[in-house]
Amino acid sequence: MTHAGKLIVIEGPDHVGRTLHARLLSARLKANGIATHIIGLARSELMGEIVKSRTADIHQLNWRTRSLLYATDLHDQIKHEAEPLLDAGFVVIADRYTLTPRIREQVRGGDGDWIDSLYSNTPDPDAMIVLHAGPRRLLNRIMFGESLEALNHFEAGMDLALSSSITSSFLQYQKILRQEFQDAGKKAGATLIPTRHTVQEVHDRIWESVNPVVEHMLQPIDGN
Amino acid sequence: MSKKGILIAVEGMDGSGKSTQAKLLYHWLRAKGLPVFHTEWNSSKIVKEATKKGKNTRRLLPMTFHMIHAADFADRWAQQIEPVLEIGGIVICDRYKYTAMARDGSRDVPREVIEETYSFAREPDLTLYFDVPVDVSFDRIAKGRPRLKFYEAGMDMGWTTDPFESYRIFQGKVSEIYSGLVEEGRIVRLDAEGAVAEVQSRVRVTFDKHIDLSTVQVIDQSDRLAQNLSESDIDWLSYSGGDGQ
Repeated sequence: MTHAGKLIVIEGPDHVGRTLHARLLSARLKANGIATHIIGLARSELMGEIVKSRTADIHQLNWRTRSLLYATDLHDQIKHEAEPLLDAGFVVIADRYTLTPRIREQVRGGDGDWIDSLYSNTPDPDAMIVLHAGPRRLLNRIMFGESLEALNHFEAGMDLALSSSITSSFLQYQKILRQEFQDAGKKAGATLIPTRHTVQEVHDRIWESVNPVVEHMLQPIDGN
Repeated sequence: MSKKGILIAVEGMDGSGKSTQAKLLYHWLRAKGLPVFHTEWNSSKIVKEATKKGKNTRRLLPMTFHMIHAADFADRWAQQIEPVLEIGGIVICDRYKYTAMARDGSRDVPREVIEETYSFAREPDLTLYFDVPVDVSFDRIAKGRPRLKFYEAGMDMGWTTDPFESYRIFQGKVSEIYSGLVEEGRIVRLDAEGAVAEVQSRVRVTFDKHIDLSTVQVIDQSDRLAQNLSESDIDWLSYSGGDGQ
């Protein structure tokens, strides 16, 4: 599929800085004359509210059902938002795309190939970034930002029965996820960026890797 | 993939009478004392909410329609169908993946995509396709109804602006896909014209021809009786011989 716009995908676990960096990238592109739009998991008009408000119910479901609900959510955004905007020349930034929904189920015994097949006719990313950070760093961010009470059962991987303690379960679960994200990211030709550096440094690295894709579209701030 | 249990599906157009026949089939097998379970297309709570929203706002497109129905089916597969098959029971599915092939296929979702999405759902031991001429099923559904629903009539595809005409076009496509599946040998055609009892006797003949029930363990009479008693009011007056003590 060819379109005038570009699709930039940012993947990675919770608290890694994805949403922040999607916002920064979007703001910088806008300042350079490029219209942007952000899509992401559980944000569709069709399913977003339901998926979010019923998270607990959704985690009770079988992995196949859950995968299909997330696929419906993403397809709704692709058909109603991403595809028309890409055709119009927007840069669409996906704050999580097809990698997260696959990896999350794969580590729970889901069939990755089958999950991939649910996304077989989605637009390919023009650039893909996988953000990663050590589990302890992620935990520290939660503790500093929201306190540990914000750590939910599923995010901590408690359903995998790795440990009865929510913190040590989180650390073990995030270690597994990090490896999966890195492996899948490499396989998909993504740029892997650790977020242990300052926000600005991380943003600069993201900008650097996105730049070749959008360079021809940029209209410099200090230009006419 | 599970080969245990017996999986029966019924397919056909709206108004073909398949649901009535599927329920009769269920009651027949239950009367034989067999562990049998009946399930219908489109019923789980979480999906219903999203489907309703999508329909009301007319936001559903062929691909999201496809996914959302598959989610519903996957839920029933995991919660109801597979568990019953695993213990060697009989499951009757009122609509199965062939409904998705017919309906989503009519909405131009490629067959490979549909097959892949539903690849976890094994081919049933018998799929009965209740075949009635499109005109007959059309009359059964359309007659006496002031209007057809937007998606039901396939209005989302923009074939025509007249709902009844659109519905006819839609059903024509559905019927064509079913016919193809009959030719591929994946579903068994059953003449569904005639009175209910007449069709049911055809259902039983076809069922007996394809299905061997000897492998299914009959539920003990005492358990069946206990179950029946637990579901009914007991007439204590006659139970205790007259004085109700």
